[in-house]
Amino acid sequence: MSNSSTLLEAVRSAVEERSAPSAEVRAGLVQLTDPGLARKLGRLLGGLQAADADLPPVTLAVLATCTVGPFEPLLRTSLVGVGALPAISVGDYGNFEFALGSGAFAEGGDPDVLACLMEESYFLPGDWSGGDVEAVTSHLQARLEDFRSLIGSVTKHSAATVVLHTLPLPAEVRESFLSWRARAELARAWHQLNADLLALAADHRQVQVVDLVSLLADQPFPARDARLHRYADLPYTDGALHVLARQVARIVQARMGLSRKVLALDLDNTLWGGVLGEVGATGVELGGLYPGSCFLNLQRSARRLREQGVILVLASKNDAEIVEDALGNHPEMLLRSDAFSVTAVNWSPKADNLRQAAESLSLSTGSFVFMDDSPFERGQVASELPEVVLVSAEGDPAHLVNSLLAPGWFDVLELTETDRDRPALYRTRALRNDFQGGFGSSEDYLQALGIELRIEPVTPFGVSRVAQLAARTNQFNLTGIRFDEARTAAMATDPNHLVASLSVSDRFGDEGVVGAFWVDCGEQTWRVLNMVLSCRVLSRGIELAAVDWLASRAEQAGATTLQGSFVTSSKNATAAPFWERAGFRPAAEDGTFTLDLRDGWNPAPSWITQPDRERATR
Amino acid sequence: MTEAASIEHTVVNILSDVLHESVEDLNNHPVLAAYDWDSLSSLEALSQLESQLGITLDLRSYQAARRISDLVDLVREASATTAGQR
Repeated sequence: MSNSSTLLEAVRSAVEERSAPSAEVRAGLVQLTDPGLARKLGRLLGGLQAADADLPPVTLAVLATCTVGPFEPLLRTSLVGVGALPAISVGDYGNFEFALGSGAFAEGGDPDVLACLMEESYFLPGDWSGGDVEAVTSHLQARLEDFRSLIGSVTKHSAATVVLHTLPLPAEVRESFLSWRARAELARAWHQLNADLLALAADHRQVQVVDLVSLLADQPFPARDARLHRYADLPYTDGALHVLARQVARIVQARMGLSRKVLALDLDNTLWGGVLGEVGATGVELGGLYPGSCFLNLQRSARRLREQGVILVLASKNDAEIVEDALGNHPEMLLRSDAFSVTAVNWSPKADNLRQAAESLSLSTGSFVFMDDSPFERGQVASELPEVVLVSAEGDPAHLVNSLLAPGWFDVLELTETDRDRPALYRTRALRNDFQGGFGSSEDYLQALGIELRIEPVTPFGVSRVAQLAARTNQFNLTGIRFDEARTAAMATDPNHLVASLSVSDRFGDEGVVGAFWVDCGEQTWRVLNMVLSCRVLSRGIELAAVDWLASRAEQAGATTLQGSFVTSSKNATAAPFWERAGFRPAAEDGTFTLDLRDGWNPAPSWITQPDRERATR
Repeated sequence: MTEAASIEHTVVNILSDVLHESVEDLNNHPVLAAYDWDSLSSLEALSQLESQLGITLDLRSYQAARRISDLVDLVREASATTAGQR
């Protein structure tokens, strides 16, 4: 969907039909390179209402030290591209500092994301002497201090994710200093300013900083337009704003758990050069000089993705035997068989293979990215599984890594231990699913699994993993409330709230933290605000054991009622019967369920052992 | 289509797109002030004209344009200069 008029038509008809653009169209929006078109599409997409589209909503406030102008439609296009439906409110012109300082940056309450658009004059003095670079330098430092405290106050009165960016130093400013020494000094101060802006991300968990300066250096178009700057206070070109909008959308994508988890890779002319079936394991291009170096570089990148939690799947039309030979024996091969959580080397259509891989990983094909050089294979997958993101490996192999990484399909806000262990976990899971075939009943199977469950209040170390689960879990997500790090951390230390995590291990390995719940602990009634459970561990009764744990804890605290609720989303149907299955009764209020603790409750399933609890009750 | 007609066609199409007005309405009422021709929409049209036609317009003359035909003339002039530079 790269053709601009097709894309325009597709978006126009989606908006007219009041439905979300298809996954294929959204992938087209992400990969758009024409900012004029992106701007036009963003205006069209403004006609889409939250009620129309089956996309998760996100609220954004935009504050700027200059005119926001095209940034809003560009943001909208990029956000719909990553699968979110934005409601964007733009702060008044000239109101940047006041809005930041007072927290009055969104009409409809605290937004999910606050995106700041900044230009150089915010940090520069109004005028300066070309002979006195020190004065400019100290002014920059002072302004940064002011800004730092503004951001500090924002993080106190808002839970929004704040997105900032580094600023390019305009030639006009640099060239106003004649001496090379002064110019170097100014550049140093400017880099320090940007470094200090970047450091805000380290200081505050809810702040993210985009390195716009480096991104702009890679673009083939100018970043600034002096005419627009002087005439309309629009310092950046549409192209530069589009680059920034794309980054903001990637942060939102990661924050909302819309990033992809699986990378399915073809072999011939993708992970190595040449066709294995024709040239044999010794004849493929891999490593050494160009072009073999490009394929090796792609393998390196895939390996790095794997180290950061992306699950690799091999999807190749080849004879399994020669692939095994090449993967096992080629001296330059970085990705050996065990790098892939699922291997599908056969002659079946690739869409079938991807579908099966998704099944054995218990993930949806909507979390897949598929990279292949063959337009036929990509087309076949596109027609059967339009939700799969396609990456082309066609053309010069020097571009392979960039084609894979530049769109940011796999972004996360923060990496956790579980991310790092995920590929190995999923590899054991695929094995576990094979093991499942040999049992008479599922209960026999569950008994034989030897499941150990650990439920415990969240510690500061667990907060980020739990928040990540909240962001990423769609199927077993009872109320859809995505408690982020800041709120989870606050609730974890508040005596009137309880946040607990669930960790599971079994004979195949340790799954780590796979679930969590957030509870409001009233005197009489404990209310479960949300509970999420990774789809990795569904249908094992873990959630029932969690209710048992929670019920006894509530009873010990003197409560008489446990209350839960269920809010339907497009993906959580699997969790709908949960409360009643756990023995709760529907309450008068729609979607609410209660359990009277005085009447007792169902014990945890017999196949689950809880080592911590057994020790505690003894 | 002659080059002159093609320029006019492009200009009117871009304006129609930016101003959300039909080509027919624009041709019937070619005074820009009759539409939502503010600084933002005029700059969007400017950036589209410049990128689609590969030209650079003089912002002062562009701002001074009152009718669609003024814009067409400006674009024609700029195209001729650009072509001459090639």
